[in-house]
Amino acid sequence: MQTLKLLAAIALAVLVHFIGMSFFPSLGRFVDVFLVLVALYGLRGGSLSGLLVGLLVGLLRDSLSSGPFGLFGFADTIVGYVTARLAQRLVIQRPTGVLAVVSFASVLQQAVVIGLAFLLLPAPESPSPLEAAIRAGACGLLGMAVYVVGGHWRRTSEARRRGRMSRLRLG
Amino acid sequence: MDERRTGWVLIVVLVGQLVFLAIQGARAGETRLEAIGLRLLGPMARGVAAVPRSFSGFREDVKLRDSLLAENRTLKSEVEELRLRLLRLSDVESEMLRLGAALRYPTPPAGRIRTVDIVYADYTSWLRSLVLYTGGEPARVDQPVLSPGGLVGRVITVAGPYAKVQLITDRAASVGAMILRTRRQGVARGGGRGGGLELDYVPLQADVRPGDRVLTAGIDGVYPRGIPIGTIVSVQQGGQLFHRIQLAPAVDFGSLDQVYLLDYQAVPKGVTEAAPGANP
Repeated sequence: MQTLKLLAAIALAVLVHFIGMSFFPSLGRFVDVFLVLVALYGLRGGSLSGLLVGLLVGLLRDSLSSGPFGLFGFADTIVGYVTARLAQRLVIQRPTGVLAVVSFASVLQQAVVIGLAFLLLPAPESPSPLEAAIRAGACGLLGMAVYVVGGHWRRTSEARRRGRMSRLRLG
Repeated sequence: MDERRTGWVLIVVLVGQLVFLAIQGARAGETRLEAIGLRLLGPMARGVAAVPRSFSGFREDVKLRDSLLAENRTLKSEVEELRLRLLRLSDVESEMLRLGAALRYPTPPAGRIRTVDIVYADYTSWLRSLVLYTGGEPARVDQPVLSPGGLVGRVITVAGPYAKVQLITDRAASVGAMILRTRRQGVARGGGRGGGLELDYVPLQADVRPGDRVLTAGIDGVYPRGIPIGTIVSVQQGGQLFHRIQLAPAVDFGSLDQVYLLDYQAVPKGVTEAAPGANP
């Protein structure tokens, strides 16, 4: 069931990325939906599953970009692991905590990708600090929004389920 | 699994990926994993790309209904003009072939062109790429990709009916180029913010001016000669030997929805496959 949920989440992230890019071609510059998914999964799961999901999602992201295959795979593996470890050490209950962690994950991913690009590419381009900050903030906001909506949806479905159970008992 | 073991798994995975990246960099080719990823994501991208296209098509149909007649008239006159131009050019071509034959100059083969749809485009991030749907006839790695404006890039990965294209504005892309006015050769590379290009290895004594058109030189073994790359926008004195030249691409990448694949092989397959030093 967990695997199915994860696959559905990946499919949804891919769909959101494609739809967003087709309507707003600059979206990819400022928001990384794949990173948000990895960071949110890292917040919920263990460090092993975090790093494996990071690897999988990063490689998927790599198959869409023209850079060396494995660039985002490497970065997202680290992001998945670090986020999961952070979640084990910190108690994140407020949406603002999620915003901070996802923003940090975005900064970490950009730093790893730029570092690798300088090692592997002939003339890499590093984004301006402002652009990197906007990207981190936008990813954080998206992560927070998904967290809030997901939490609301979970609570609603839980309440519905309880209601159904109590009706069954009364009947 | 305890955290210590997970840490080891992380190290193994990261080292494995670094080795993979290093091998890939040395071999400079497509990987099977990449093709699988493209095969998985391609159909989704195609499905999503079809929706705005049909929506905007419908909207344009409604909006442009009144102007269709006028547009039709303009296009008819353009077709007439182009037919006349084609007649003149075929005259020039036959003369060129005749002269070439007299000088025993082998004419480079003209490639066949076919139209393909773009299903995913990322022009803005620093790793710029396109994903194409090529239908029943798959693309070939290193196949040139063009638009009516000029050169778009080359195919770098093929996965069934999908192909990934590296744009000429990508940081890792380079094209053998020449300045049309002076025939001076250099290397056009992706670079500069905002999707610009740079023309490298043009010596300081070379005559270069803003406004000069730059075409493919046909010396890189990938692109044929004479495809527009861009126009020079600025020339500065670079290091000790070369100019620092900025180009504006000939293609407006943001407005592409279809491109052309050129069936062209600069170096015959037999030559590329021949072992170095092998006897002919």
